[in-house]
Amino acid sequence: MIIKKLIGQVTPEEKNEIQTLFERRNGLNELAKILTADNAELYEKLVKDLGETGAKFQGWWDHMAEKYQWEGTANGNWEINFDTCEIYLVTNE
Amino acid sequence: MQKRLFYKNPPLLLLFIKMMEKLPIKSSDNVWKAGNAKEITFIVTKDCQLACKYCYLVGKNTKERMSWDVAKKTIDYILDKEEEFREESVVWDFIGGEPFLEIELIDKICDYIKIEMFRKNHHWFNSYRFSFATNGINYHDVKVQNFIKKNRSHLSIGITIDGTELLHDMNRIYKNSCKGSYKDVVKNIPLWLSQFPEGATKVTIASDNIPYITESVLHLYSLGIHDVNINCVFENVWKEGDDILLENELIKLADEIIEHKLYEENNCSFFWEELGKPMDRVKDNMNWCGAGKMLSIDAAGNFYPCTRFAQYSLREKKAWIIGNIHDGIDKNKTRPFLTLDRCTQSNAECIDCEVASGCAWCQGENYDAADTPTAYQRATAICKMHKARVRANNYYWNKLYRKLELEGIAKEEAEKHVKMSNHEIC
Amino acid sequence: MLQYLIIQLDDTSTSYCHYENGKMERRLMALEDLKAGILFAMKENLMIQFVYPDYVLPQEYKDAINSIDHNDIVSSSCEDMSLREKADVVVFNSWASVEQNGFQDATVCVLRTTKADLLDKYLLLKPVLSTVTRLNVVITDVDTFTGQDFEDYKKVLASLSEEVEKLYIESKSPQLNQLTDRMLLDKMNNCNAGWENITLAPDGKFYVCPAFYLAGDDEDFGLGKAKYSIGDLQNGLDVKNPQLYKLEFAPLCRKCDAYQCKRCVWLNRKTTYEVNTPSHEQCVVAHLERNASRDLLNNIRKHGTFFPQREEIKEITYLDPFDIKEQ
Repeated sequence: MIIKKLIGQVTPEEKNEIQTLFERRNGLNELAKILTADNAELYEKLVKDLGETGAKFQGWWDHMAEKYQWEGTANGNWEINFDTCEIYLVTNE
Repeated sequence: MQKRLFYKNPPLLLLFIKMMEKLPIKSSDNVWKAGNAKEITFIVTKDCQLACKYCYLVGKNTKERMSWDVAKKTIDYILDKEEEFREESVVWDFIGGEPFLEIELIDKICDYIKIEMFRKNHHWFNSYRFSFATNGINYHDVKVQNFIKKNRSHLSIGITIDGTELLHDMNRIYKNSCKGSYKDVVKNIPLWLSQFPEGATKVTIASDNIPYITESVLHLYSLGIHDVNINCVFENVWKEGDDILLENELIKLADEIIEHKLYEENNCSFFWEELGKPMDRVKDNMNWCGAGKMLSIDAAGNFYPCTRFAQYSLREKKAWIIGNIHDGIDKNKTRPFLTLDRCTQSNAECIDCEVASGCAWCQGENYDAADTPTAYQRATAICKMHKARVRANNYYWNKLYRKLELEGIAKEEAEKHVKMSNHEIC
Repeated sequence: MLQYLIIQLDDTSTSYCHYENGKMERRLMALEDLKAGILFAMKENLMIQFVYPDYVLPQEYKDAINSIDHNDIVSSSCEDMSLREKADVVVFNSWASVEQNGFQDATVCVLRTTKADLLDKYLLLKPVLSTVTRLNVVITDVDTFTGQDFEDYKKVLASLSEEVEKLYIESKSPQLNQLTDRMLLDKMNNCNAGWENITLAPDGKFYVCPAFYLAGDDEDFGLGKAKYSIGDLQNGLDVKNPQLYKLEFAPLCRKCDAYQCKRCVWLNRKTTYEVNTPSHEQCVVAHLERNASRDLLNNIRKHGTFFPQREEIKEITYLDPFDIKEQ
C-alpha cells in the first residue's frame, strides 16, 4: 500500500529549479535511447550532461531536505507536486 | 489547480476561491505551460482514414504529405532563430488529416528535434512536449506504440471520440465505405488510458447530434475519460430552434452529472463557472485565440499563423501565408494577429453582451466568414448557442451548489464567508 | 465622417502619394460620371480634389469642374500650363522632373522619391524650403527600408532639420511634412482613406483611394485582389467592414503619437494584409520623423518662444509601437 504524507513546501523559485532539472533529466534519458556511440562528440556530451544533471538533481533534494528538515524513511522517497510546490513522503508499506 | 468561481457577488469571490478548493468538484487540468509555450504545428499529411461530416478541413487529400526535407528545413529554421523564439517552452504539435498515418516521418522529426535542441544547447531542451490529436484508429499500431515508449515523458496525446456508438458513427465515418469508426477507436481507449490516465477527448457538436449529448458524455465518463472537452462548431450551420434543443439537452446532462455525483471525478467543458458574465472593454480585451503566436507548417513548406489559415481549412478565402522555410517568417504578416484584441474585432452587440465571457471564436473561421479578407471581423454564428449554453450552465451551478449546501459540505465555509463578508463591509 | 471626394479624372492622372501609376493608356472619366460625382459630393457635402492627367482636358470637363469649389492636383509635367500655375498641389514624380521644371514658388509641392534618391539628393531640397509654400516628400518605396536605410534616413532628417531651424530663426515658416507637421499637431492627422475620403475613378466606381483602383486586375497582395471597389455612382457607397479604416479600430495606431504619419491603408494592405495594421517599416519611418520633429522643436525653442501652447513632444525609447504593445 502506497502512503503519501505531506511533509513540506518549497518556494515557487525552488520548484522551478527542480522542475527544470526534472525536465532536462527526462530529455537526456529519452535522448540516450536514440544516440549511439557512433556520434562520438554528441554521445560524450550526453554522458557528461547526464552525470551533471543527475548530480544537480540529487543536490537539490539534499539541500532542500537539510534546509527544511524534511522527514524521511529508509523505504520511502520524496515527491514534489509541481502545481502546489508541496513535498510528500511516499512510502510503500 | 484551476480556481472555480461561481458566485456572482464580486466582493465574495476571493473567499469562494478558497471555499471551492475544498468542494468535491473535479477541476479541469491546466494546459501544459499555458501561455508560455510556443506551439509549432507540422501538418504532416492532409490525408485521413475518416471523412467526418463536421470536419472543417475542406481540402483533405492524399497527395500533400510532408517530406523529410521540408520538416528538416523547418526545424533548422526554428532552432537557428532562438533569439526570435523566446518562449520558455515549446509544444511540437502534429496534425493531419490523421497524423499517425505518418508515424515514421514523425518519429524521424522528433528524433531530429531532440538531437538538435541538445546539440545547439537550445533552451527548449529543458521544456518541450510532442502533442497529437488523433482519431485513434491506428493507436495500437506497433510503430505508434514504439514511438510512445521512446518519448513517453514528453507526450501529450488526445484521442477524439464523440460519445456513444450511435453519435460517434453519425459523423465520424470512413471516407470510402461511410462505415462508422466507433468500434475501431473504442478498442484502443483502454490502452490509451493506461498510458495517459489523464487523457482528454474533444467532442464536436453540430446541429444533428444535439439530442445525443447527454448519453455521449456519460458514455465517455464510463469509458474512463474524465475530461471531456466539448464545443459547438463555429460555422454557420445552426437551425431554428437548435438553441432551445441545446439548452434542454444540457440541463438533462446537468441533472445526470449532479444526481450521480459525477462532478467529483469528471469534467465537462460545457459547464464552467466563469461562463456568461459581462466583459470589461479594457481589462477583458484579450484575444481569445492564439493565432499568430502559433506557427503551422504544411507540406509545401509554407508557414501559417495557425492550421486554420492553411488552404485545406478554408472554404471561401485564400490561404494566409506568413512565410516559408526558405525566406523565413515575414513578421509584417503576423502583426495583425499579435495586435488583435477582443473589442476591435467584435461588433457592438458582442462588446456590450451581458453574457460575453466564455463565448469563443476561431480566428480562422472569422477570416473565412468575413465580408472582406480580414481577421478583424468576428463571426457570430455561434451566438444563440452560446446563450443557450449560458442558461444551462447557470442552472448547473445553481443546482450543484444548492445540493452541496444542503448536504452540509459547504455549510461551514458559507458561515465563515458571511462573517467575513460583514467584516469587510464594516 | 466622410469629408473629401478625390476624383481621379483619367487612368493616367498623376500619382500624388505612395502608390505608382503605371498606366499609360488614357481613359478619361465619362462626362456624365464626372457630373454625377460632383452632384454626389454636393449632396454629401464633400470637398472635391481633382487629380489630373498630363494632357489638356476638353472644355466641357473644365466647365463641369468649375461648377463646384474644389482643389486641383496636377503633375509638374502637365501640359495645361494655366492649370499648373493655379493648381493647389503640384506633384513632382521624380528628381528629374524637379531638375526639368523646378519647384514652383508659393505652391504646395509634392516630391515623390525613392529612398535611394532621397538619401542621395536631399541636399537639393534645402534651398527650396524657403520658396515653396509647403513641400511634401513622399517616399515611394517605404516598404523596402532596412536597418541601414533607417540610420541613413535619420541623418537626412537631421540635416534638413538644421535648415528648417535656420529659416525659423530668420522668422520664416517653412513647411516640410517630414519635420514640421508633427510639431504643430496634437492628435492624429493621417490620410484616412476609406473613412474621411474616398476616390471616384474613371470607371464610375468608388475606391478607398486611387491605389486601390490603379492596382492591376490580376494583382494580388496575397489574400485576394488588390483592386476592389466600395460602391458606384448608381448604387452609392457600399464599404465592407468600414470600421477598419477608422483610427479607433487600428490597435497599434490609436495609441501612437507619430501624428504626422500617413497611416497609409494601401501600404498596410500590401505589407500586412490588413488595412488597419501598419508595417514595421512604415512605423519606424514615421517615428524617425516624429523624433526629428521633437529635436527640431526643442532646438527652435532654444532661440525663443515658439508655439508655447504646444506641449513638448515626449522622448520615447522605441521606433515601432509594436515593440511596446500590451501583451
